[in-house]
Amino acid sequence: MVLDIIIAGLINGSTYALLAIGFSLIFGVARIVNIAHTAFYMVASYCIYLITQKLGYHPTVGMLVAVPLVTLLGLICYKLFIDPIREHEAAVLIGTIALAIAIQEIMLLIFTGDYLSVPALIQGYFTLFGVKVFHQQLLTFVAALIILGALRMLLMNTKLGLAIRSTAEDREVANLMGMNESRVAMITMGVSVGLAAFTGAVVVPLTIVNPFMWMHPLIMMMAVVVLGGLGSIKGSFMGAYILGFAEALVVFLIPMGSFLKGSVALSIMILVLLIRPEGLFGIAFEEER
Amino acid sequence: MDIVGFYLRKFWMIVKNEVLVLPSRIIVFLFCLLLLLLPVFTQDPYLLRILILTSIFAILAASWDLLSGFTGQMNFGHALFFGVGAYTAALLNLHAHLPPWGSIPLGALGAVLAGLIIGIPCLRLRGTYLALTTLAFPIILMGIVFALPGITGGELGITGLERLARSRVTNYYITVVLMLVLCTIMWKITDSNTGIIFHAIREDELAVRSSGINTTRYKLLAFCLSGFFAGIAGGLYAHFMRIAGPSTLEVSMSFQIVIWAVFGGIVTIYGPIGAVFILYPLLEFFRFWPEYRTLMFAIVILLILLYMPEGLLPWIRAKIETECPRCKIRNIATRKTCRICAAEIE
Amino acid sequence: MNRCRILMTTLVAFFLVVTISFPALGAKTIKIGVIGPMQFVQGKGHWNGATLAAEEVNARGGVKVGNKKMKIELVKADSNEFLNVTDATNAMEMLLSRDKVDFVVGGFRSEAVFAMQDIAMDYKKIFIGAGASHSKLCLRVAEDYDRYKYWFRATPFNEKFLGRTSFIHLATVGAILKKSLNIPKVKVAIVAEKAMWVEPMIAAAKGFIPKVGMEVAGVWQPSQAATDVTAELSAIQRTEAPLIFTIFSASVGISFARQAGELKIPAVQVGINVEAQKDGFLEATQGMGNYVMTLNTFARGVEVNELSKPFMDKYIKRFGETPTYTAETYSAIVYNLVPVIEQAGTLDADKLIPIMETREFKTPSGRVKMVSTPEGKPIHELKWGPGYQTSLGVQWQDGKLVGVWPNKWKAAPKAPEITYKGIVPYKIPPWMIEKYKK
Repeated sequence: MVLDIIIAGLINGSTYALLAIGFSLIFGVARIVNIAHTAFYMVASYCIYLITQKLGYHPTVGMLVAVPLVTLLGLICYKLFIDPIREHEAAVLIGTIALAIAIQEIMLLIFTGDYLSVPALIQGYFTLFGVKVFHQQLLTFVAALIILGALRMLLMNTKLGLAIRSTAEDREVANLMGMNESRVAMITMGVSVGLAAFTGAVVVPLTIVNPFMWMHPLIMMMAVVVLGGLGSIKGSFMGAYILGFAEALVVFLIPMGSFLKGSVALSIMILVLLIRPEGLFGIAFEEER
Repeated sequence: MDIVGFYLRKFWMIVKNEVLVLPSRIIVFLFCLLLLLLPVFTQDPYLLRILILTSIFAILAASWDLLSGFTGQMNFGHALFFGVGAYTAALLNLHAHLPPWGSIPLGALGAVLAGLIIGIPCLRLRGTYLALTTLAFPIILMGIVFALPGITGGELGITGLERLARSRVTNYYITVVLMLVLCTIMWKITDSNTGIIFHAIREDELAVRSSGINTTRYKLLAFCLSGFFAGIAGGLYAHFMRIAGPSTLEVSMSFQIVIWAVFGGIVTIYGPIGAVFILYPLLEFFRFWPEYRTLMFAIVILLILLYMPEGLLPWIRAKIETECPRCKIRNIATRKTCRICAAEIE
Repeated sequence: MNRCRILMTTLVAFFLVVTISFPALGAKTIKIGVIGPMQFVQGKGHWNGATLAAEEVNARGGVKVGNKKMKIELVKADSNEFLNVTDATNAMEMLLSRDKVDFVVGGFRSEAVFAMQDIAMDYKKIFIGAGASHSKLCLRVAEDYDRYKYWFRATPFNEKFLGRTSFIHLATVGAILKKSLNIPKVKVAIVAEKAMWVEPMIAAAKGFIPKVGMEVAGVWQPSQAATDVTAELSAIQRTEAPLIFTIFSASVGISFARQAGELKIPAVQVGINVEAQKDGFLEATQGMGNYVMTLNTFARGVEVNELSKPFMDKYIKRFGETPTYTAETYSAIVYNLVPVIEQAGTLDADKLIPIMETREFKTPSGRVKMVSTPEGKPIHELKWGPGYQTSLGVQWQDGKLVGVWPNKWKAAPKAPEITYKGIVPYKIPPWMIEKYKK
């Protein structure tokens, strides 16, 4: 039972971590709350569905095509809809919501509301300490760790990473120092959407594809990011696993109540915020005067 | 007879000097007149239904603006107040057999309580943290609703509620008059001392606190007031639809409210009201193309945000009125000199 | 600035065009409104069934009303009930006040149908429900006859009978497992989505299962949209139950079947799984949904009576897929409304209702008779039982959805045996046979 919970928690947590890292990145750097983040994840899932089910290629081909395609789409949307209104935070929130709804409707038009699914990258399962684990789930876990490592390397060891970090800390001063702040924001947006697409590619065989699939991960992702602290990647990572374990605990300890797992996770988030309003590792924003 | 004439002349003078000088006031005046006199011209039940629902949502959107626009507490879970108001009114009506004029205010009080409950954890949160936390509350409540299907009716909701009134026209008048009254009250609140403090809290909370004002109390007050009005909207909705279901708590409802308010212009009470009256019938209009409806809605929102980020109504208002540089009184845009102090306006 | 002006003028022009192009009133026809979630399979079923019916009736000249013939005109209304109950009520109101339809068929989501029913009753128009199974919808007819008498249910039968039928399936499969695999006492794992309509069924199942000599291994309730049920499946496997009783109406039905197949859980699934009724189920579960059994109204190759095959053939030929139960709008029009109108010679609802209450007729899914409460008050509900509506048990076998129940079924010890034409025997998955015949 304990093993079940640990393994389920790790796997749930990895899914949320993958989503949350991208979301946290764009918020930390450009102060954009990209509600359409999971909508891009959905577009990637549909791309992969198209390539694997309709065109018949292997899922890896689907991944290789979907990720750049969705990243490009994300950048175009950013340039057209978000960049012009970046100054008004409220407008950005609404704009990304409207964007997510528009994407949902387009998917609904093209693919109708039927439930679809995608084959796994690696089929089959194996048994770990008596618990059955899909290969795909293990892949998700490994991918989360790899992405975290790669991102850390990007941020710490490259010039681009330095630019991103300094823009995240203080936009105006970074601009003064000669970094093209809007270009950095655009690159970060690209990385963020790319991460969302990659998450879609890795996680989608475990879930059902339909035009409304973006809402539930959105809520969990936001809970994770808020719990861990906005703008902190380490925080998002930790928050993802905490909430992942919380969900696994609920499912295993209360079988009749497994529909409550969302509510429980959110309640934990609120409790943590009561004690520490910036989240676990978050940065408290000084109000700009 | 003379007395009547005197009051009529006085009324006309007030209208001429206060209302007719500014196009925005004329529009509001005509709008109220049109709404109140509509049933004289047409009694099409479909049209009346749309306007009743629009009025209910207008109260809801205006209440959001009171909290998130004026006081700056971004509330992404406004559907919570709506749902709590609807469910409380429904439960009171069904089990305690209270008529609608009793259950709706009590439902609103229930929503006030909810406002206190969520206001307290939100006191220390700012900006996006606050927005995302408030998003969580309706979801938690929805989980509770599903967990107690005996009381709340689960995903079916509570059915068999009483009507507001027998005929569609009476329903219409009740809702529209209530909407005008409540929105006027909200407007007056924002103009009062409390409203100024709310606005100040939005602009710079630290400064307000250093002036000696207890911001905690005022923030909680904002939550409660906003909850009260939204709760009334919820009760009206439950009694009009005669059903109170979990669809009132959905995330999409919260998002819808925020979209309306920001579209119409936040930090104005008239903005969200105008937005709902434009967007909701628009959405119904688009019924001719059922597949493209929501898509067109989303695109309209995106376009408006690109070209008018402050909101539609403030943009329109800025086009038809200008502020005098000397005395700060608003004038119609075609004037060359201010009507009060005769200073030149470019 | 210029951009804004162009935008504004185009928007205004657009609205003017739209306002002017309102649908014009046609010639004298019988207008039937079809309301449902048109973007989804259920609404499409509503519309397809009605279209087929209208085409058939109009092809033979129309409906004889008194001494003139009137054609049927269908009005489509997208209720969008899955996403927005307010939308559904607006659509209903528009049908009745703007389009001025004479009858309405359709409806799916119970929460929305309650509200839609109220509106139809306000307008005193006959509303035939073809999708919502909540019993209260019909009980209202008994509570307030004068107001609610305009409501009739065409499909499905209410949740009490849904439960009873699925329990019969459960008992049948349990007996098959016990005999073929030599299991002394069959354990049953109950897995139901978290929803209101499920609660009474779970309680009833817990009472029914011991009565037929089986044992309840446990109850699990994932959420309706759950995509990861590996936790529940691991727990079920640990109980070693060979039978899983499923009560699913939403997407969790797909996830569950798929993951149970991928994890090779040694148990068969029986019960209600609405997603498994659809043609696209095997593709959605990546082929893992084989051997899943569920309740259904139609199945290819199964003939409940002589009307079934012509209907199925016509539907499949026209729309290329098996009809779901919401396509019963066809029967509601062709076998219910039209003959009743012709018999009464009028469109007046008050004159049609007494005929509709007492008339018995055959449809492709069985025989329809309207029942009353024990006190004799009509509730316009379908009668369940052999010779009337029993529905079918269908199972996915080798990529095809075939009918496996009723197969030599006796409703009561002295009752005659019933097997519909085209029913095939239930198949036990090979991995179960392998596991148990060791």
